[in-house]
Amino acid sequence: MAVANQAVASEPSSKRPQRKPPAEVVPSDGAVERQRLRMMLLIRRFEERTYVEYTKPGQKIGGFCHLYSGEEAVAVGIAAIFDKTRDALINGYRCHGHSLALGMDPRVGMAELFGKATGCSKGKGGSMHFFQAAVGNHGGHGIVGGHIPLGLGLAFAQRYKQNGGVTFCLFGDGAINQGTFSEAMNMASLLKVPAVFIVENNGVAMGTQVERSSAEHDLARRGCGFAMPFRQIDGNDVDVVIAEMTTAAERGRNGEGPTYIVADTFRFRGHSMSDPLKYRTKEQQEQAKQRDPITLYAARLRERNLVDEDQIDAMQAEVDAEIREAIRLADEAPQPQLEARFEDILAETYPFDPND
Amino acid sequence: MAVIQYREALRNAMVEEMDRDPNVFLMGEEVAEYQGAYKVSEGMLAKFGPQRVIDTPISEAGFSGLGVGAAMMGLRPIIEFMSWSFTWVCIDQLVNNAANVRYMSGGQYKVPIVFRGGNGIAHQLGATHSHRMESVYARIPGLIVVCPSTPAQAKGLLKSSIRCDDPVIFLESEKMLADRGEVSDDPEFTLPLGIAEIERPGEDVTVISYGRPLQRVVRSAMASLVDDHGIDVELIDLRTLRPLDVKTCVESIRKTNRCVIVDEDWGYCGMGSGILHKLNKPCFDFLDAPIEYVHSDEIPVPFNHYLEEAMMPSVERIVEAVRGVCYV
Repeated sequence: MAVANQAVASEPSSKRPQRKPPAEVVPSDGAVERQRLRMMLLIRRFEERTYVEYTKPGQKIGGFCHLYSGEEAVAVGIAAIFDKTRDALINGYRCHGHSLALGMDPRVGMAELFGKATGCSKGKGGSMHFFQAAVGNHGGHGIVGGHIPLGLGLAFAQRYKQNGGVTFCLFGDGAINQGTFSEAMNMASLLKVPAVFIVENNGVAMGTQVERSSAEHDLARRGCGFAMPFRQIDGNDVDVVIAEMTTAAERGRNGEGPTYIVADTFRFRGHSMSDPLKYRTKEQQEQAKQRDPITLYAARLRERNLVDEDQIDAMQAEVDAEIREAIRLADEAPQPQLEARFEDILAETYPFDPND
Repeated sequence: MAVIQYREALRNAMVEEMDRDPNVFLMGEEVAEYQGAYKVSEGMLAKFGPQRVIDTPISEAGFSGLGVGAAMMGLRPIIEFMSWSFTWVCIDQLVNNAANVRYMSGGQYKVPIVFRGGNGIAHQLGATHSHRMESVYARIPGLIVVCPSTPAQAKGLLKSSIRCDDPVIFLESEKMLADRGEVSDDPEFTLPLGIAEIERPGEDVTVISYGRPLQRVVRSAMASLVDDHGIDVELIDLRTLRPLDVKTCVESIRKTNRCVIVDEDWGYCGMGSGILHKLNKPCFDFLDAPIEYVHSDEIPVPFNHYLEEAMMPSVERIVEAVRGVCYV
C-alpha cells in the first residue's frame, strides 16, 4: 500500500520535513518560468481590478465574489503540469485564478463577472461558476464541498476510459468538514481513481479559523484513514507545488490511486467582498505579505538570472493593459437576450416544454 | 413478447442498454456481489464484470455525485438508490449538480444519467423510508422525472431514460417489483418520455394518476366505478411527471368536464397540486365541478399497518371523490 509517509504524518506538521524545491538540473532559458510568473501577475491583477470594479459606485459586478489573491502558486503550479487533452480540474467557488491559469481568456472571465453573454458561462454562472470544459476546467462550484464527489466522478471516468488523465480536485480548508469530503476520499481510494485532492488551506473558512473548525488542527492528518498518501506542502511556492503535483499525478496515471495534498497558503482579501477581515491582525497580514507567492517566485527567478526588473515591469504593464481591456470589453458587451434565460437547461427536446 | 416481472423488465432494460453502449454502467449499494438489494440487478455482475457493475459504500452523496461527474465526462451512469427516501442526504448532488451544471456552465455539458430506485410508501417502513419524492424532483428545472406503473413501462421508459441526454429521476416501487406483465423483448422497444397513456378511454370523468398509486388502488377503484356505479372513467397514466403531458390531460378533461387526480403524496405542495396548477387555467371553462385531488393524509408515515393504510388514498376515497365530481 502506498502510504509511505504515514509515519512522518504522525508527527506534528511543523516538525515534518518539508520537501525542498527540486534542484534545477535542466538548464533553462527562463521562458517557461517567466510565463508562470506572468500568469501569477495576471491572476493577481485580474483579482485586484475585480475588487475595484466590484466596489465602485454603480457596481457592475454583482453577487458573491471570492478573490484568489495570495493563492496563485497553487493554480499556476497545477497548470504547469496539466494536460488539457486528458486531465480535469474541478474547484470550489474561488475559481477565477484556476480558470485563468488553465488558459481562460481574461476577457471571457471578466465578461462572466459582468454577467454578459460573452462570458464563459454566458452570464448564467457568475463569479462562482467559471467553466471551460473544452480544456478540462469543470468549474467553479458554489456549494462548499458539493463538487468533491463530482471530482471523484471525473476521475472515475478517466479510469473507466483508461485515457491516462488525472483529476485535480480543489477545495478549501472549510470543505473538509463536509461529509462529501469523507465520502469522496473513501470511494476514490476504494476505486483507485486517478485523483489528486488538494486543500487550498488559507487557514480560515470564511471567518472561522482552522483551529475552531477542525478538531485535528493538522489538516494533512485529516487525510488519515483513507489509505492514500497525504502531505502538507508549501502552497506559496510554485516549484514545490509543481513537484508535488507531478508525483501525485504520476501515481494516478500509473493506476496507483489518489493522493491528498494540503497546500498551505494565505488569502490577502476577505472571504468575499463583504468581509472586512476583522479576524486578522495587521501583523498577520504583514507577515503573510513576506510570503507572497509572486514575490517569492520573482526573487527566485532573479537569483537564477532568469528575469530582471525591467522584464517584470514590462510584464506588469502588459497584464495591466490586458485586464483593463477585458474590463472595457465586458462593460461594453450587451446584456444577454432575455429569451436566453430559457436556454441551456436541457440537452434534448421533449413533446412538452418542461420549463413552460 | 413474454410475461415477466417488473424487476426483470428493469434488469432487461439495463442489460440491453449496457450491451448496446459500453459507456453505460450500473453503480449503487449492493448492486453487484449481493445481486441487488431487491434482486433487480441479479446476474449483472457476472455478465459485465466489476468495472461496469459497481458496489458502493453507504455514501449516497459520494456515489450520486460520482455519477454526475462521470456523466459530465460522457459516460452514461445508472445510479441505483436502495430507496429514494435516502436521497434526502444527497439531494445537493441531484439538484445543484445534475440539474444545474448544464445551465450554469452556459450549456457546456450534457448530463446523461439515470437515478433509479424504489419510491414512496412500501409497507411498514416508517416515516424515514416512505417518502414520496416525486414532487421534490418534479419541480426542478433541468431534471426529467419518470414513474412507470407496469412492467412494460418499466422496460420501455428505462431504456429511453438511459438513452436520454438529460438527468432522469426514475421512480419505481418495491411493491411493484414482483408485478407481472407482457413485455416486448425487442431490443429497440422503447417508450417516449413526456407522453402520458390513456389506459382506459371513457366519457364521464378523467382520473389522472401514475406509478405505485395507480397500481395499488386506482385500477381497483376504476373497476368499481365502472362496474358498480356505471361511471365511464377515462384513466390517464402520466408515466412522466416532468415534463407533464398537459395536452393529453387537457383534451380529456375538455371532453369529460370532470377530473380527479390521485397520488400518495401529501396534498399541500404535493405532486397533484403541481398538476392542478398546470390544468386549472386551460380547463377552467370546461369544468362542471372543481378538480378533486385525492392524496395521503398530512402526517408522517406511521409504522402500524392499519394507520399506514388509513393515511393513503383508498378505493373508497377515490370512488367517493369521483362520485362527488359527477354529482352522483
